[in-house]
Amino acid sequence: MTGHPPGAITILVVDDEPSIRRLLTGCLANAGYRALQATDARSALASVHVDKPDAVLLDLGLPDRDGLELVPLIHSAGVAVLVISARDATSEKVAALDLGADDYVTKPFDTDEVLARIRSALRDRGRQAAAEPRLVAGEVEIDLDARQVRRRGVEVHLTPREYDMLAELARRPSKVVTHAHLLSAVWGPGHESDVEYLRVAARSLRRKLEEEPSRPRLICNELGVGYRLMVEG
Amino acid sequence: MTTRPDPARPEPDALRPPARFRIDPAGLALALLLTALVTALGKVVRTVSGGADAGLLYLLPVMVAATRSGLATGIVAGLVASLAYNFFFIPPTYTFTIDDPQNVVSVGVLLGVAIASSQLAAQVRLQAIRARHSARQSNLLAGYARHLTAIGDRAGLGEMTCAEIGRLLDVDTVLVGRDGEGLRAEAGWPRVPVLETLELAAARWCFEQGEAAGRGSDTLTACEWLFQPIGADGKVHAVFGVARADAGPALEPDMVPLLMSLLDQTGLALERIALAEEMAALARVRERDRLRQALLSSVSHDLRTPLTAVIASLQTIVPASAEQAAQLAAARGDADRLHRFIANLLDMARIEAGALDGSEQAVDLAEAVASALHDLRASLAGRPIGVEIAADLPFVRVDPHLLHHCLINLIDNAAKYGAPGTPIVLKADADNDGLALHVLDEGPGLPPGSETRVFERFARLEGSDRAGGTGLGLAIVKGFTEAMGLGVGAGNRPDGRGADFVVTVPRDRLIEGSIMP
Repeated sequence: MTGHPPGAITILVVDDEPSIRRLLTGCLANAGYRALQATDARSALASVHVDKPDAVLLDLGLPDRDGLELVPLIHSAGVAVLVISARDATSEKVAALDLGADDYVTKPFDTDEVLARIRSALRDRGRQAAAEPRLVAGEVEIDLDARQVRRRGVEVHLTPREYDMLAELARRPSKVVTHAHLLSAVWGPGHESDVEYLRVAARSLRRKLEEEPSRPRLICNELGVGYRLMVEG
Repeated sequence: MTTRPDPARPEPDALRPPARFRIDPAGLALALLLTALVTALGKVVRTVSGGADAGLLYLLPVMVAATRSGLATGIVAGLVASLAYNFFFIPPTYTFTIDDPQNVVSVGVLLGVAIASSQLAAQVRLQAIRARHSARQSNLLAGYARHLTAIGDRAGLGEMTCAEIGRLLDVDTVLVGRDGEGLRAEAGWPRVPVLETLELAAARWCFEQGEAAGRGSDTLTACEWLFQPIGADGKVHAVFGVARADAGPALEPDMVPLLMSLLDQTGLALERIALAEEMAALARVRERDRLRQALLSSVSHDLRTPLTAVIASLQTIVPASAEQAAQLAAARGDADRLHRFIANLLDMARIEAGALDGSEQAVDLAEAVASALHDLRASLAGRPIGVEIAADLPFVRVDPHLLHHCLINLIDNAAKYGAPGTPIVLKADADNDGLALHVLDEGPGLPPGSETRVFERFARLEGSDRAGGTGLGLAIVKGFTEAMGLGVGAGNRPDGRGADFVVTVPRDRLIEGSIMP
């Protein structure tokens, strides 16, 4: 791992499979990151505290501990957590996100997708909690300060709920926001399971903002988990 | 019935409620003795004091007899006392004749007081006996209940019940349970009897009606046994039979309440044991499910890990020529297919295991179709896709994952069997019956008569080998749609240009009023 410029972004890969570790570290190195490896939960936690990486790519099936238990520990150390797991149950994904994971990618993964999710997670980290007041997603421009949404420069009229949902997604650009989080933030506590509210708002937002509402590129559905506002690619 | 020496056994008579009208010889003897003493005493008193009337003294033997031995004995003692008084003290003495009418009244009063007081005393005594009797029964039932709680299995319970009740009531007993369709004597005392057709008929009637049957009941009285249902909450767990070897009544009527109390307790114990057995069975099923789940997730992990490495590696290779680029794309396509096969195999295992723990959610079909198309973008590259879904289509209440896998398999199937480069159309309509989502391809379509066969496992229609595949995809569609309460069908397009697969959503799965707020 020599030859990297000092101060390069460091990413820790935690997986017990050597082939996956090799592959991910290779990809990360090609993309200009400094990549570290850990094979189990114990060494991963040690590395988080000693090497202070910027992000962790975490497999859930570790030999010594369930990866889910690590998510809050790494998150509380101020490090971005990206779960990369073969487990594809909705409950696992929601649990990981609720515990503080920045995103969840299922195996087999697309390396470009992993890199895109790392960029989103790191961008979010850089901005800290202060949301960017202005966000551009494709043809759509969202001004969170003025509560204005424009498409191709023309202001789009949104209902308050639609705007609130879009703003909630825009605060975490390109990252998945769970149904429960959106419902509680927009409709208030007690509505966490009224997913049809979200479906209605998402359908209407797509109609107003998407080029092709039946092939959405901006407001993407994360199966059974939540929604994602794509701001790049 | 042969006697069975058993010192622990309480006398059957002691369990019986006291008879109301019975002369107690011992009590009567005591009353006669007392009458004689009182007579002697009266004589002495009369001699000493002259003139004093000894009539009141006779109340003593009457009261003693009545309180000790009951009404009948008391009345007899009263009669004897009044006769003795008449004979020994009322002039003319030593005859049973009475001169003075006033003395007739004296004898009558004595007799009346004897009867009244004896009746009163007898009532008190009867109550005391009843209290003692019911205390004894309570003790007995409590002891029986203690025995019951110590038993944890049905066989042990049957043996204990038959033996205890058999000894207590001095009868032969049998416990009959269900054995599949038929009935079986599970336990008996002194031995498990062989039940004849008539007995079995009575036991069955008792099982089915939940009422007594057999000798001494209203039904099938020719039967040697009297069967009583054992149950709780209206459910008959078993049938209990009693009989006597001597041809007398199976059970004296006054013992029936005791038997019923004992059987009620047995019913509760049987219910408890049945519940415990159910819990144990449930725990076994849970454990099996847990193991299966662990196996599935471990297989899924073991297969996906190398595949992940392969797919990701293929992506990182930079092709040196157009030919290599094509080879890499083909390898990537095959790896993706392999991934779908693995997913299908795991899904099939889940369907077969009945382990589909779906969680329902409001789902927008347009969104679901878009997600499926997104996931299949690699294998659909270069093929036109038409989506005709009304913007105001109601949402459906289904498991989003199961629906996703259904759509993936249906669209993949259309891509496999549709002619290369031809469009695939996804079309949804709502009508009064619900909603129908069609997946239409342009190709050879289905051979006549194969409309249901395509959904069988490993079914691959003739002449379609070129497309490859495990033949699991459509079986999974069928399994998943059924699990979600949806329907699925296959046919050819009305215009004859290809196949038409349709997923139907019944009306009760639609979320009404979900069109727009």
